[in-house]
Amino acid sequence: MEKNNKQMVFTDASMLITEACVKAGADVFIGYPITPSNRFYQYGTQRFPSFLAGPDEITVMQWMAGYSAAGKFPVSATAFPGLALMTEGLNMAYAMELPMLLILTQRLGPSTGSATTGAQGDLMFANGAISGHYPIPVFSHSEFEDSWDMTYEAIKTAIKFRTPVILLTSKELVMTNKSFDLSQLKEIKPVEKFSTKVEEPYKPYKTGKEMVPPYIPLGNDKYQVRVNASTHNDAGLIKKNDPESMANTRRLKEKFEKRIDEITFYDFDDQEGADKLIVTYGISADAARDAITELRDSGEKIALLIVKTMIPIPPKVMEIMDRFDSVIFVEENIGGIYKEIIYGKNAPIKVSTVNKIGSLISPSEIVKAVK
Amino acid sequence: MTKNKILSKVKMPFCQGCGHGIIVRSIAKAMEQLGYSNHDTIIVSDIGCSGLVDPLFDTHSIHGLHGRAPALGVGVSLGLDNPNKKVIVIQGDGGVTIGLQHVLEAARRNIDITLVVMNNLLYGMTGGQISGLSTQKFKEQRHFEVDVPPFDIVKLAHASGAAFSARATSIKTYTDILKDAIEVNGFSIVEFSSLCTSYAFKKLDELQEVFEEAEVYRNERIPVRAHHKKTKSLLNNLKIIEKEFDSKIEKRAGIVLAGSAGGGVQSAAKLLATTGMFSGLHSTMKGEYPVTVGTGFSIAEVILSTTPVKYTGLETPDVVIIVSDDGWNKIKGNIKENSTIILDNSLKNEETESLKNKVVFGDFNRAAGKRGAALAALAYWINDSGMMDIEALKKSVSSHKYSKVLLEAIEARLTVFI
Repeated sequence: MEKNNKQMVFTDASMLITEACVKAGADVFIGYPITPSNRFYQYGTQRFPSFLAGPDEITVMQWMAGYSAAGKFPVSATAFPGLALMTEGLNMAYAMELPMLLILTQRLGPSTGSATTGAQGDLMFANGAISGHYPIPVFSHSEFEDSWDMTYEAIKTAIKFRTPVILLTSKELVMTNKSFDLSQLKEIKPVEKFSTKVEEPYKPYKTGKEMVPPYIPLGNDKYQVRVNASTHNDAGLIKKNDPESMANTRRLKEKFEKRIDEITFYDFDDQEGADKLIVTYGISADAARDAITELRDSGEKIALLIVKTMIPIPPKVMEIMDRFDSVIFVEENIGGIYKEIIYGKNAPIKVSTVNKIGSLISPSEIVKAVK
Repeated sequence: MTKNKILSKVKMPFCQGCGHGIIVRSIAKAMEQLGYSNHDTIIVSDIGCSGLVDPLFDTHSIHGLHGRAPALGVGVSLGLDNPNKKVIVIQGDGGVTIGLQHVLEAARRNIDITLVVMNNLLYGMTGGQISGLSTQKFKEQRHFEVDVPPFDIVKLAHASGAAFSARATSIKTYTDILKDAIEVNGFSIVEFSSLCTSYAFKKLDELQEVFEEAEVYRNERIPVRAHHKKTKSLLNNLKIIEKEFDSKIEKRAGIVLAGSAGGGVQSAAKLLATTGMFSGLHSTMKGEYPVTVGTGFSIAEVILSTTPVKYTGLETPDVVIIVSDDGWNKIKGNIKENSTIILDNSLKNEETESLKNKVVFGDFNRAAGKRGAALAALAYWINDSGMMDIEALKKSVSSHKYSKVLLEAIEARLTVFI
């Protein structure tokens, strides 16, 4: 049943994501222009309480880290060439445990590739972005409602886990306008940033069972805060080969592993008797939704898994894949990047892929591959 | 606990005779004499020997990456947005070299931080290699390179707009010059010479090239602080569109519009999409144009559908409207046989007349001008096919800021010779 109080507008996901960021309490957009993240920059200037135009992406990431350490939530949006420059600072912010959101609009690579052609080519890089293979949360969206909800979840995760989070999107997802019913959007409330419970005596990187240090900004009058990107002890001072420091380093991975259920997001459309499963994410999800309808209409028994928590890999997502005799990965890249992250180079025989570069994978291509 | 003691009791980690310790002590002394408390002080440190300073200060501290400390400090200062808090960034000559852009950017913006440069002419942690601030004499003696002068970071910062740029030469003046720098409202930089006893301590004259005389430069500027503005939801600006007209589209219609940049193609496509919404349909629209947006082709795809559109690709468009050569050249290789083609008269040639599709020619450019041709052709299609009510298109145009001109373009279709 369609609602009567519909509010149909014509908009794009860049706007919804920008709006969701500010509603969730993001304080500043720090940008460096790059296609196809242009609209985030444009909307960022209009909507964020503060906006800064960085001179390059290396600087952008440093300014973001500075803002975050000072207690303000920063957002930026880029594409792969920018991410390449930001990766140094992203590792820094990750080690410092600074909340921030980076929107990564994928475009066709390698290198500068085609700036105005979409792609799903950056997941492997995001997966390996942190030296030592510590997981940086990577969330993905497809429908407009998703872009709103997952932005909110990304910001909640960044603050709850004191970490940079990547919202993985792509050109076609954020630069396509659609008619959309605004009344579908859930309410977003500003996320409470700072820790209210602090264990005394305060130590900047001392954690309890939540495995995340309290978030207290630099410069506050009560606690002396030390933030550190190098291997550090609980006091936030450089200390190598020290059990406390090594525990702090291991914790960067463990905090996500232990609490993975809190950040597990996916849509699973199961069908009774289905032995085939389509796995997809992001821009290819909409084609898969259409394909599933067509396949089921033609009598095929098939399930659809749209993954939204890309990194770290939730055990629940793998459990679903394990249940099926045939798993088909649909991704706009060569060979299947997500498939390789899940199954490695030696995927079991039940795994197959539908891949393409240069244009969207169409529903008919998926249908053909399944049949 | 808040206190006015800035220096901690931690032993200096520097080599015997290294100049870094005295600079650290001078910073602490300057801050104490100016009355700053440890909770009002944020030390931002870099990588290298100068990056070992965090524990020496009993203050807030943040230890970042090589060369990036000035940029990190800019973020902290703007993020705090509190003139009572003092951000002091410390880096060496190697850090200045790798992060030169950050120093100049902070100076250009005149962000309220104090940058302390401990110049020991070399990379002490990796074996005494030269930096961009190494003097010629120092380099010549080591046969690294000749005739390559060092950057004068003090003058560079001044030229970039720093409120205060200075070079300190005599230990006796360290504290006073730092106090001057810290008291400046805006970006201040002080370069200190710091002998590296492990790699470079031969003769003081290696340093003289840059440290012959103390220099102080000032720019009378106010610092750039964080801008805050109250903003409203972007969604408030979106028009709510309700169904007012009927449509004859049974399932789905895909329309491609092609023309030249600046020819109103994208805007016509958006109007078509909202026309669909006024007709109770779901719609999507995406544009394609070269990265140089002001020239070449401009293409837009619109899907109108009775059900919400998931996949937004358009494999076989029902209608292709082309109003210029740029548009034709871009898509002629991709015409599907089932598509109806609507072309401007200017495109009448052997190629277009041999198309096997249903083809209609119209004088859209002449009737509605270059900027109105796409909309005129669209109006023709809506009217001719009867798929939607032409009044729905007019309704869609009515709230546009150029509605008068656009309405003329729509009316123009009526006079077009088909």
